[in-house]
Amino acid sequence: MKFLLKIASGIDSFSEKTGTVISWLSLLMVLVTAFNAIARYASKYIGADFSSNAFIELQWYMFSAIFLLGACYTLKHGGHVRVDLVYNHVSARTRCWINLVGTILLLLPFCCLMIWASFPSVRSSWHVWEQSSDPGGLPRYPIKTLVPIAFIFLGAQGLSEMVKNIARLKGFLPLEEQVDADAGEVA
Amino acid sequence: MENWLSPLMFVVLLGLIFSGYPVAFAMAGTAMIFSIVGISLGFFDWNLLYAMFDRSYGIMSNGVLLAVPFFLFMGAMLEKSRLAEDLLKTIGQLFGPVRGGLGFAVIFVGALLAAATGVAAASVVAMGMISLPVMLRYGYSKEISSGLIIASGTLCQIIPPSLVLIVLADQMGISVIDIFKGALTPGVMLAGMYAIYIMIMAMVKGDAVPALPKEARSVSSGDLLRKVSFALLPPLVLILLVLGSMFGGIATPTEAGALGAVGAMILAFLNKRLSRHCIRETMIYTTKLTSMIFILLIGSTAFALVFRGLYGDIWVEGLLTNLPGGIVGFLVVANLAIFILGFFIDFFEIVFIIIPLLVPAASLLGIDLVWFSVMIGINLQTSFLTPPFGFGIFFLRGVAPKEIETSQIYRGVLPFIAIQAIGILMIIIFPELVTWLTD
Repeated sequence: MKFLLKIASGIDSFSEKTGTVISWLSLLMVLVTAFNAIARYASKYIGADFSSNAFIELQWYMFSAIFLLGACYTLKHGGHVRVDLVYNHVSARTRCWINLVGTILLLLPFCCLMIWASFPSVRSSWHVWEQSSDPGGLPRYPIKTLVPIAFIFLGAQGLSEMVKNIARLKGFLPLEEQVDADAGEVA
Repeated sequence: MENWLSPLMFVVLLGLIFSGYPVAFAMAGTAMIFSIVGISLGFFDWNLLYAMFDRSYGIMSNGVLLAVPFFLFMGAMLEKSRLAEDLLKTIGQLFGPVRGGLGFAVIFVGALLAAATGVAAASVVAMGMISLPVMLRYGYSKEISSGLIIASGTLCQIIPPSLVLIVLADQMGISVIDIFKGALTPGVMLAGMYAIYIMIMAMVKGDAVPALPKEARSVSSGDLLRKVSFALLPPLVLILLVLGSMFGGIATPTEAGALGAVGAMILAFLNKRLSRHCIRETMIYTTKLTSMIFILLIGSTAFALVFRGLYGDIWVEGLLTNLPGGIVGFLVVANLAIFILGFFIDFFEIVFIIIPLLVPAASLLGIDLVWFSVMIGINLQTSFLTPPFGFGIFFLRGVAPKEIETSQIYRGVLPFIAIQAIGILMIIIFPELVTWLTD
C-alpha cells in the first residue's frame, strides 16, 4: 500500500505541474486572440496583415490543450462538477466508496475508450503528416495526438484517486480529508 | 427490445448522477455500460464508438464554443482583482443615501457580472460573500437580502454575455449573437422588476431596506465622484464595449471575449491590482472551469452517441411530438421537466443532457429556437431559486452567516419567484420581447 501511495502522490504532483503549466496557456490564448482581432482590423483598414492562419488556428489549439490537459488537474482538485444533493449528506466513508466505484466503473473505462477510439485517427494523421486545410495553417497531427495523451493523464489521475480512496477506506489515509476541499471555489 | 433499453439508460444515468460522482464521467460511464449491452444485443458494433474521436475533435475545433474561456477569463479577472467588489461598494455608496440603495447596487452588479459566471453556484456564492455582510450590517432585512442575492446571482446567467447562453446557442444550433440579443431585453426587464420590487419595499417598509447611515457614506462628493469615475465607469464601459462590438457586428464573440479579457487586465493594471497572485488565480480558475465544462460536453457526447445507437432519440422524439396539445403540450412538458431538473442539476448539465433531446422536436413543431432558449433560461433561473431544492438557495446557505435561518431565505425568494412567473408570462404573451432585436 505504501508503494502504491507513493506512485499516487507521484501522479498527483505530475497532474499538479501539468495544470500549472497549462494554465499559462489561458493567458497566452487571450493575448494571441486579442492580437488576431486587432490584426484583422489592421488589415481591413490599413491593409497591413500581421495575422496568419497559423495564429488563428493557434487559438483553438490552445483552447483544446487547456481543457484536455487541464482535465487531470481538475480531477485532482475535485473540479468536475457533481450533483451533491446526496453526496453532501452521506458519511466520509460512503463518499470514498462512491468515488472508488465511480472511478473503476465509469472513469477508467471511459479513458480507455477515448484512448482506443483515437488510435486509428491519430495514427493515420501521423502517417500522412496531416496539415491544416487552410494555407499557412498548423499541422494537425500534434493536436490530434493530444486527445489520447489527455486521457492517459486523466486515467492516471483516476488511478491515483482509486489508490487514495482504497487507502482511506483501509485506514492508511485519514477518511475526512477529501480533495473536494476547494470544489466550492470552482463549481 | 429497444423500447425499454433507452429509457433504462436514462434512468441509470439519473441514478449515477445523483450518486454524486462527477457528472461528466457518470454520463460517459453510462455510455460505456450501455454500449456493451447494445453490442452484445446486436444493436450496433464497436465501430460506432470510433466516432467518439471525431465528435471530440469537433468540440475542440468548434468556433462557437471557443468564446467560452475568454469570457470566463474576463469575468474571473474582474472578480479576482476585486474590481467587482469595488464596483458593488461604489454603487452602494452612490445609491446609499436613498432607501433600497444597496439593493439596487446588488441588482446592478449582478447584471454586470454576467460574464464572470457560468455556474449558478459561483455567482450566488460571490454575490453572497461580497454583498450579504454589507447589507446585514446596515440593517437590511434578512429575507430581502437573501432573496435579492439569489435572484440577482442567478439572473446573471441569462444576461449576455453569459457563458451558458453561448453553450445553449451551440446546442440549439443558433447563433451566439442572436441568443445574446434575444436574452438582453427579458434579462434587463427582470432586473428592472427586481428594482421595482425593492422600490416598493422602500416605500411601504422602509426599515427593511434602509438608507446607509450618515457615517457610512463617503466623506465628500469629490471622493465619491472619483470613485465613480475609477471604480464604476471603467468596468461598465468595458462590458458595454464588449456587448456593443458583438451586437454591432464588429467583432465575433470570440474576439470580443479576448479583447474584453485584455481590457479587464488593463483595468486591473491601472488600479494596481494586476498582481502575480491575481493573474495566477485567474488562469487557474479559467483552466479548471474550461476543463470542467468541456469534459462534461465530451461525456454528454458519449452518452448521446450510445443513446442514439439504442434509438433513444426516436423514443424521446416520439414522446415529445405526440403529446396532447401539440406545441402547448410540448412547451409545458419541456419546461416542467427543465424546472424540476433545475432543482438538482446546474445549467450546463441540463443544457448538455436535455437540450439535444428537445431540439429536434422543437424544430419539428416550428418553435422559434431563440425564443425557446430564452424561455428555458428564465425557467431554469426560476428553478434555481425555488424552495426547497433550488440550487441557488443551497449555495447562499453555504456562505450565509448562521443568524440567517433557512426559512428566512425561503420567505425571501418568494416575491422573486412571483416576479419570474410574471417574466415568463410576458415573454409568452409578447414574444417580441425576445425577437425584436434579432429581426
